[in-house]
Order: sequence, then C-alpha cells, then structure tokens
Amino acid sequence: MTTVAGRDHREIQRGWRRFWPQLHKVLRKPQFWFSVTMLIPMLAWYWIFSFGPIISAFRMSTVTYKILDPGNSPFVGFGNFIKIAQHPLFLISVKNTLLWAVLSFVFNLPLVMLIAVFLSKVKRGRNLYQALIFVPVVVSLVAVSLLFKMLMDPEVGQLNKLLSVVGLPELQWLSSSASALPTAVLIAAWKGGGLFVVILTAGMLNIPSELYDAALVDGTNAWQQFWRITLPLLGHTIVLVTVLLAIGSLQEFTLPMVLTQGGPGNATYLYNMFIYDEAFTDSRFGTATAASLLQFAFILGISVLQIKLLRPSWSY
Amino acid sequence: MMTATGKTIQAGQRPVARLHIAQWILHALLLMMVVVAIFPFVWMVFASLKPFKELVESRDLLPHTWTLRNFEEILSRVNFIAAFQNSIISAVSVTVVSVFSSSIWGYIFSKYRFPGKEILFIIVLSTMMVPFTVVMVPLYVTIADFGLVDQLGGIIVTGFYTAFGIFMMRQFMESIPFELIDAARIDGASEWRIFFMLVLPMSLSPMSALAVFVFLGNWDSFLWPLIVLQSLDKQTLPLVLAGLRNLWWTRYEMWAAGSILTVVPIMIIYSFASRYFIRGIAMTGLKA
Repeated sequence: MTTVAGRDHREIQRGWRRFWPQLHKVLRKPQFWFSVTMLIPMLAWYWIFSFGPIISAFRMSTVTYKILDPGNSPFVGFGNFIKIAQHPLFLISVKNTLLWAVLSFVFNLPLVMLIAVFLSKVKRGRNLYQALIFVPVVVSLVAVSLLFKMLMDPEVGQLNKLLSVVGLPELQWLSSSASALPTAVLIAAWKGGGLFVVILTAGMLNIPSELYDAALVDGTNAWQQFWRITLPLLGHTIVLVTVLLAIGSLQEFTLPMVLTQGGPGNATYLYNMFIYDEAFTDSRFGTATAASLLQFAFILGISVLQIKLLRPSWSY
Repeated sequence: MMTATGKTIQAGQRPVARLHIAQWILHALLLMMVVVAIFPFVWMVFASLKPFKELVESRDLLPHTWTLRNFEEILSRVNFIAAFQNSIISAVSVTVVSVFSSSIWGYIFSKYRFPGKEILFIIVLSTMMVPFTVVMVPLYVTIADFGLVDQLGGIIVTGFYTAFGIFMMRQFMESIPFELIDAARIDGASEWRIFFMLVLPMSLSPMSALAVFVFLGNWDSFLWPLIVLQSLDKQTLPLVLAGLRNLWWTRYEMWAAGSILTVVPIMIIYSFASRYFIRGIAMTGLKA
C-alpha cells in the first residue's frame, strides 16, 4: 500500500514538475494577463445577464413561479405548456402572428426587390436615394406609429381626405377588425423596407457586370436578365432577407402595441403581446416563459428550414 | 458615303438615347419612392406647427396660422426634458461601454489563441439567436434582485456587451496583420499600449458604425424600458411619447410635436452618419 501511494506521489510530483514550467511560461505572458482581466468581467456579465437568464428561463417554464417566494415554486413539468396552449388568446395570437409574417412577405419582398433593381441600375445619385429611402428605418418606431395613427384616422385623417379628393371610398384603416392587421403590416413594411433595400442593392451591385454585358450581347431584355442573372445569383442575399423578415415579424411588439394595443377586438394581438401580458399584466412568469420557449423553438425551426430549403446548391 | 456615315451615327446614338430615357425613368421612379418615404415626416413637421382645429379641418399641407403653442404646451405638461436626459444617459453609457467591450473582445477573439476560444465565441454568438422574450422574465427577476427595477441602471447594465458588436469587431480585426502587433511587441509595447495606441486607432471606422447602431437601437428601444421603468420621471423618450396617446386622446398636434422632439436628435445623427449606416448594413448582406 505504502509503495503504491509513494509511487503515486512521485508521479504527481513528476507531472507537476513537467507542468509547472508550462504554466509559468503562460503566466509570464502579458497577453495572458490582458485577456484574463478582460475575460473575467465579460464572463461574469454574460453569466448574470445572458446565459444565466436563458438557463433560468428553462427552469422557470417548468414551475408555477411564485414571485414573492421563488424558492418554493411548485414543479409542474410540462403543465405550463399545456396551460398556455389552452389559453383563449393563444390561438388568436398565433394566427395573427403567422398572418402578419405572411403579409409582411407579400408587402415587402416584391416592392423592395423592385426598388433595389432601380437603385442598382441608376447611374447617378444612388447614395442619396438610398439615404433618403432609408430614413423611415432610423426614425423611432413609436413616432412612426403615432404618425400613421394620425394619418389613418377614419374621421379626420389625411389619408381619407386624400382618398375622397381622388374620388375613392374612404377606408377604416386601423379602426375595423378586418383591415387593422393588413394596415399595420403595411406600416411595418413602410418602416422596415429600407433595410432590405440596402441589403439587396448591395447584393445586386456585387454581381459581376460582365454577366450582364454577356447577356446583352446575347440579346436578352431587362426582364430576362432579372430572372436569369439577378435573381439566381442573389440567392444567399434573398435567404438572408427572408430570414430577417420572418424572425422580425414573428417578434413584432412595439408597432401593434402603440398603434392599436392589439385591437380592435383582438385583430392585431400578436404573440409577443400575449407573452408580455401573461408575464407583466397577469404576473404568471412560468407560463409566460413557457410561451416564449415555444416561440424560440418555432423561430429556430423556421431559420433552419429556410436556410436548408432556399440555399442554392449551385452557382455560376 | 453620307448615308452610310449617317446610318452609323444613328446606330451609335440610338442606344445612348434610349439609355438616357431609361435613366430618366429610373430617376422618376426613385423620386416617387423617396416622396413616399419622406413625405409623412414633412407632413408631421407642419402638423406640429398647426393649431388643433386647423389640423383636423384643413387638407392643406402648410399651416395657415403658424404656431409654436403646441411645443410650449407639451413641454409644460409633459416632462420631456427629463425623458430626454434619461434617453441620453442610457443610450450614451450603453454605447460607450458596449463599443469599447466589443472592440476588446473582437481583438481578443481575432488575435489571441487560447484553449476553448472558438467554443466561447460560438456560445457568445448563440445568445443572438435567443429571442428577447425568452430572457425577458428571468432578466427582470435578476434586475429586481439587484434592486434596479424602476432605475435607469436597469436598462443600462443589460446592454454592456453585445454579441453582434463582438462579432462585427472580430470580423474587422481579422484584417489587421499579425506582423504589426508582433512588431509592436518586439519594440517593447505592453498589451494595453498595443490595444489603445495601435489597434483602436485603426478600428475607428467600424467602431463609429457600431456606435451609431447601438445608440439608435437604444434610443428606440421600447419593450425592455417598458418593463423596467415605471415612474414617469424615470422613463425614456419612446415611453413618454407612447404615453401621449393616453394623455391626449386624438390631440394630434400634440402627438406631432412630441414625435418631432423625439425624432430630431436621431435625424441630426443620421444626417452625419448615414454613410456609415448604409455601408454597415450593406456589408452584413454581402457577408452572408
């Protein structure tokens, strides 16, 4: 026994003797101290404000969270997920959010594509046009919401005044439950479209001009060039724009919150507002977190699917 | 001869002329888009200078009676100055700290080698994938533990590091040659000196782009301040602005005046930095 223990001891000593110079070398490096002094606050911060909350979100979703006594929150397993699915507003908000996502594709992609084509073809003043078209993207979302709430007032709003001048029937815009959601998506598209215009224009300008020259020699028209050169070569950029659009519209909150507060009725009540109300109006932290994890899983699934489906497997 | 030369000139001219017309049409279409993007704001500026009655009744863009009463009233009834201060304090402190931390971390992730670096980088980046609603509630509990609910600090500390910023700065720092840093080391410069005197000055352009992104993102942020800040004097501009909706139901001239007050600082920054912005966003598209 003693011999074995002695041999172990010697081996540890030998290992230590081999290890110590290496450690010493690292400890003497100024790079080591620089990165460690930076690493510690960063890791601490990430642990407290980022990883920590993500991990506790998973834990929180399995308990009936007691705000005043969190340590004694009873474990319910998947109970919160079942409760959420049975909530009367769950299906309504899911349906609205999916409709929002689909409509934002319809309203955004064709127009944004068209503007990007214009911008990539125009020879002078491109930067100025881009800068101006981009303005709605940088302006506060709350200000934009108020602005359109004013313009779209069915009684005194300028848009209806404009329509009556032209002789078209006045619209209810945000005030009727039938038109509120499409109208809100339209505002969101107006506000966010500039971002995608810039990304797509950059992608189009990145396509080598020789391809267009060659196509011109072959006698193609602009329409054919768009479908045969621009669109296929823009594959990656379009995937990026699609993913950004999908993720953005599945997480919409501020715009409907300020514009309509989910109304009229529940016409613009989106999933993020559902989570917010569950958490901070009804103080049910457990079910709210469960709802947010469902959203997380869905978004993750969609991103993976989109990237797999849309990534072109070929190139020119 | 004459006809032949005339023909060649015509043949040479026609596509040029057609090109010119095409360019004019493009300009016309783009101008239309610009009008659609800008005109609502122009309307809002004039709306804020009109009395209520005129705003509701008149169709005209320009006010018949110009007035600054709206701004006077809104500044006397709502504490816009405090909201402005809160917004500035939180946005500036988050911007300064997160741009600095992103630069240091971009530098370390791109120029240092240590075991577990790639894994750490991926873990940091993966936090970008998690929707904010997932961390919203646990983060609120954490903030409450620190006693930061209804404190400006509650919306500041959560923004000190941004995964996006770290990613962006690392992408840039990759282009700084190792030889430069090694040369500085051989000359006896300390790591701190290398970072502050060599690397930072080289990175000013991506840093300012990041600063603009972070600043505007914070200036505009709504959901998290809505959760953390409850008392009126602690609220930031977007919250106060959204509050106008309930304070003055349908007093649109007030909404317009409040919106102008919120938007002006952004427009000032944007008019200087639009180039950075557009370039930064265009780059993300090309990298994908």
